[in-house]
Amino acid sequence: MSATAIDVPLLGAKWTIGFTGLLHTAVASLSIGLAALVTVLQIVGYRHRDRRYDLLARRMQLVHVCIYNIGTIVAIGLIFSLSGLFPQFWSQLFVHQFWTLIVEEFIFFLLATTVTFHYFFWQKMWGHKKLHIFLGALLTPLFLLQFYLINGIGGFMLTPGYQTGQATVGGLIDGWDRMGFYNPSFLMLTAHRALANVAYGGFTVAALCGIMHYLTHREKVKRYYEDNGRCAFYTGFLCFLGLPIVGYFYAHVLKYEANEAYVNLMWGQGDVVALGMDWWWLKQLLVAGMFGLALGYFRDASKRQGASFALPLVLVWSLALFYLLYYLGMGMIMTWKFFFAMLGVAAAGMLLAGHLVRFHRGSGRALFLLMGALSFLTVMLGGYVREAARPRFVNRYSHYDHVYIPEHRQPVLMVHKRPEDVFTPEELAAAKAPPKGALIQAGGVGQKLLDSAALIRVHCSGCHTLERVKNYRLTDRWSLIVSQMRAYGLKLSNDEARLIVEHLEAARPY
Amino acid sequence: MDLPVIDPPIFPRWIWIEEITYSHIPLATYITACMVLAPVFEYIGWRRRDARYDRLAVGLIWFSLTLFSPGAALGTGIPMWIMGTYPEFWSRWSNLFFWPLMAQFVFFIFEVLFLFLLYYLLWNWSVNHKRLHIFLGAVAAFWGLMVQLVWDAVGGYMLTASRALPGVDEPVAWSPQAFFNPSLPFLFSHRFVGNISWAMMVTGGVLGLRAVGKKPAEDRAYYNWASHLTFTIGLLAFFGMPVIGWFYAQVIGRHAPVAFHAIMGGHQAWMFIAKVALIGVFVAIGGAYVFLRYQSRLLLWGLTAGLGLLWVVLTIHPPLKWLGDSPWVWRGAYTALLAALAALLWGIRGRWSVETKGWKWAMFAAGLASFFAFCIGGMVREGAKNPHTVYGELEKPEALPRERDRFLLYDRCVQCHHRTINEFNRYDHRRTWADILGDANHRSVGKDADERDRLLRYLDRYYR
Repeated sequence: MSATAIDVPLLGAKWTIGFTGLLHTAVASLSIGLAALVTVLQIVGYRHRDRRYDLLARRMQLVHVCIYNIGTIVAIGLIFSLSGLFPQFWSQLFVHQFWTLIVEEFIFFLLATTVTFHYFFWQKMWGHKKLHIFLGALLTPLFLLQFYLINGIGGFMLTPGYQTGQATVGGLIDGWDRMGFYNPSFLMLTAHRALANVAYGGFTVAALCGIMHYLTHREKVKRYYEDNGRCAFYTGFLCFLGLPIVGYFYAHVLKYEANEAYVNLMWGQGDVVALGMDWWWLKQLLVAGMFGLALGYFRDASKRQGASFALPLVLVWSLALFYLLYYLGMGMIMTWKFFFAMLGVAAAGMLLAGHLVRFHRGSGRALFLLMGALSFLTVMLGGYVREAARPRFVNRYSHYDHVYIPEHRQPVLMVHKRPEDVFTPEELAAAKAPPKGALIQAGGVGQKLLDSAALIRVHCSGCHTLERVKNYRLTDRWSLIVSQMRAYGLKLSNDEARLIVEHLEAARPY
Repeated sequence: MDLPVIDPPIFPRWIWIEEITYSHIPLATYITACMVLAPVFEYIGWRRRDARYDRLAVGLIWFSLTLFSPGAALGTGIPMWIMGTYPEFWSRWSNLFFWPLMAQFVFFIFEVLFLFLLYYLLWNWSVNHKRLHIFLGAVAAFWGLMVQLVWDAVGGYMLTASRALPGVDEPVAWSPQAFFNPSLPFLFSHRFVGNISWAMMVTGGVLGLRAVGKKPAEDRAYYNWASHLTFTIGLLAFFGMPVIGWFYAQVIGRHAPVAFHAIMGGHQAWMFIAKVALIGVFVAIGGAYVFLRYQSRLLLWGLTAGLGLLWVVLTIHPPLKWLGDSPWVWRGAYTALLAALAALLWGIRGRWSVETKGWKWAMFAAGLASFFAFCIGGMVREGAKNPHTVYGELEKPEALPRERDRFLLYDRCVQCHHRTINEFNRYDHRRTWADILGDANHRSVGKDADERDRLLRYLDRYYR
């Protein structure tokens, strides 16, 4: 087998995919958010008989149409990059999810047509406003459906949900892999991204309003952008508040279904740390900063009378408290040092928000801009760390006759062939046996984990940070400690307890 | 081949690919044609201070933009389908054309930026910066043509793959031989002119119909004017096609002889004849329209010269299909048809008005005929290389033994047999094919026993 592959000078294959993928994600996520916001603005405008909202909605839709096309083209670039640079991975993905991608393509076409008609026939459909709003409102469910399909594939890449050997040999795969699609992290990924996209869209629209506020000099127009910016900002913030709740459960899924990725994220290992920086932590610090900035803005906004779209402060603070509780939960499994750093950044954000609003005489324009930039960065970092957290999917091969490894599984991937037609019973049994280390990586619920390091990571971090284990001083009494933990409710078999104690006593890394 | 092939339901995979591709290509080619012509119209309008040209230019771009997103979304589906249904072919493609495809991605980004942001959105703003605006439109068109160039290179490679290509196990990423394949310049120029021709004829037909239903006289006058202009441009552009097509056919004949023979009398000939028939329809309608509508002798003689050019190309071109036993029958037939058409056109010159509803529908029908002729042209090119996806390099997964045998027959026999595959029909029917292949003239053909069996199988089945 040829182990050589196409490479991209300077950037390298990995970063080419990363760059193209993130660019697409930035644009596609914004599209989803914008579609929802345009509908909100159109409905508000129609209900209040206020053309200003309709005008803003139209401008947002124009931005949407432009970035939509850029997103489409970047998606094409991503397809070409993946098929050229990672042919093995890409081919394998097609074997599992060809029909998913084709249905997604069809929805893509429907979306492209709808968004185009919605914008370009805005004036022509003026006499049919309800129909026009309905057409625009169709975009959001279509986007979510498309997004649902892509998340099935994205989730599969992180939590395949079964052992690879079993998945390919166990059934006839002809472009659709139900088990792979409805993988363990699928639901959480979908919920997390749906909220994040609307939040991102809201903050971006607010940022655009902030820019227009800077550029315009007429007081009336300034007030228009201020009000619209606030409306978009509130919409974004409400979705933003839901993120750590979903994120908390998402992290739990990863912990059991993609333990290695989970460990990489939570304790800064693998590709999550690049250029000497833990990008996951940076993302969380930015999120904390956004949280503080938003709360600061709300505190200030609540003091002002007569502002449109004022959210009840009690709602904001109670949601914020809920938000904090979930971060506390996350803090349990990250580190307290990190948790307090987040609190500090949030407090600094709050102070900065107050300063920015006062400096601009009550206008949130600078804050809108800052939040837009931060939301963009967090979307980018979120996408990056999710991809970087898992171990490298495959090696890169270019020879098209050898896109599938291991080769002994290739024949069952062919159409109209069943595993029984290709393999002897012995070969089938061998193929179904888990590859070395697979149990550790999969770590499915109910499976016996045999790797002691993974046992420690999964079981100990359920209640406290691993730092607590590492900092424990009475290292000659691990057996007693493990027994205590079992008495507190930790469910371990005797074999697992023995493996953990041996590992800790030997002071091996975990 | 050890790659899995997805087998789509209902239709064979090649039909799926054809339908998906044909959902994208008309949109993409129409947009490209409009992008090329809009700055030209805008320039003419600016120079002549005629606002109608500007209105036409912005109308074309507006309409192109409504097609852009759906077209791009459908375009994204094409590689997806190919990857699943023809994975080996796609692997070869993405290996040899990695950098051109990436470049195409960059060109596409530039196209969108210039077309959407700098050309369309700045139209009103740039009333006082017309030169700059026209320049931006031309740049957008340039990037669009660059995208077309890459795809034509890739499409040209499928029919005339160059010699001495890198091995399939070499991660080449870019092959100048494959990219600058022999048919690239002809395919590109054929498509460039063809896109303008069909897109403008269809536009002319549609604008003509719009003129019928318009109430304000000003609007009606504009749509009438615009339909005349675009339809005439489309018709005149067509006359470049046979000339380029003749050169293109020469290249195909030299570098993909089996495909050439498949079109010229072989299994794809019926489709090519259908295309020529459609051409006949829109040339006749369009010619009559021009002779009725315009008085300019230059234009009328130009169109007559175009018919003459068509006659020349048909005369030096290999016969499409024998009519009877003699090539002179075929030559006589098209000469008589073209002469009769020219005489008829000069005879009806200026006799009736074309400002009637019936003529608008006729223009629309001519536009549709040109559109279908364009579509059939692509089908002919793709079908001619059956059972190969890349001529002489890769075979389709669904290739049938019959198709393989036919390719072998064309490859081994037609080169020596006069000019078309139909000559097989004129062999002495008293002799068996085994006898014929065994005689002295054919010894070099039947050396290999398997090859000989396959040739006999095909000849016995289809030429007796």
